[in-house]
Amino acid sequence: MQEYRTTRDGVRGERPLQAWFDVRKRNLGSWAFAINRLTGMGLIVYLVLHLIVLSTLLQGEQGWDKFLEIARSPFFLAFDIVLIFGILFHGLNGIRVALIGMGIGAKNHRSLFWVLMFIGAVLLVVSAWKVFTI
Amino acid sequence: MQSVLSNQTTRKRAAQSGAAGALWLVQAISGLLLVLLLLLHMVAHHFVVEGGLRNFQEVLAYVSNPAIFFLEIVFLIVVTAHAMLGARAILLDLGLSKSASRAANWGITLLGLAALVYGIWLAVAIQNL
Repeated sequence: MQEYRTTRDGVRGERPLQAWFDVRKRNLGSWAFAINRLTGMGLIVYLVLHLIVLSTLLQGEQGWDKFLEIARSPFFLAFDIVLIFGILFHGLNGIRVALIGMGIGAKNHRSLFWVLMFIGAVLLVVSAWKVFTI
Repeated sequence: MQSVLSNQTTRKRAAQSGAAGALWLVQAISGLLLVLLLLLHMVAHHFVVEGGLRNFQEVLAYVSNPAIFFLEIVFLIVVTAHAMLGARAILLDLGLSKSASRAANWGITLLGLAALVYGIWLAVAIQNL
């Protein structure tokens, strides 16, 4: 693991966590990097919650029904939209990062980002409609 | 960021030798796999189900299918590996000392293993309900 290098972008200082939230001279790649990490951390928290929720199945039908009642409340459905945004952003931006890291499409990374985000926005609208009408 | 990006590309991170390059490749491949698995997961678990969520009996019937059970275990393994590698990258990016980096590596490995063991145990327990 000794060859691991911390991320620096030349504009921000040596404090990495502070650098994430430093908005000075932010460009598209920096924003994408910061949002990718924030959504990634959010998704890790969600995965833990998901395991906890699935554990209620072990309490039998009553435990699961109680969860279903909560899951169908408007607040929870709104939370689903935030979750889907996180999944879409992290997934689609991740595709871009993986492709560029493999040397594919690096010269067109801005266009690639916006095309993927457009796809994400369409999928978010379709998903939101599905969540509230299913 | 532009300079970092082009440096990374020129070096072709995927082709880097050593543990860091290999782990980056694992994260990239697991991420691409997750896009497919998650799409399948969302459609099969929510979008084709009336009301978006299965009731208790429907869940039991669904996970009793060996192919679904297998896919869920693969999903668990891939998502845990991807999440732990991501968490590790964030932690190491904080510029930790060598000993703290070592502790972070061990902590992430143990957390990932615990999530895998609990997840597989839970999947088996649900299937046996």
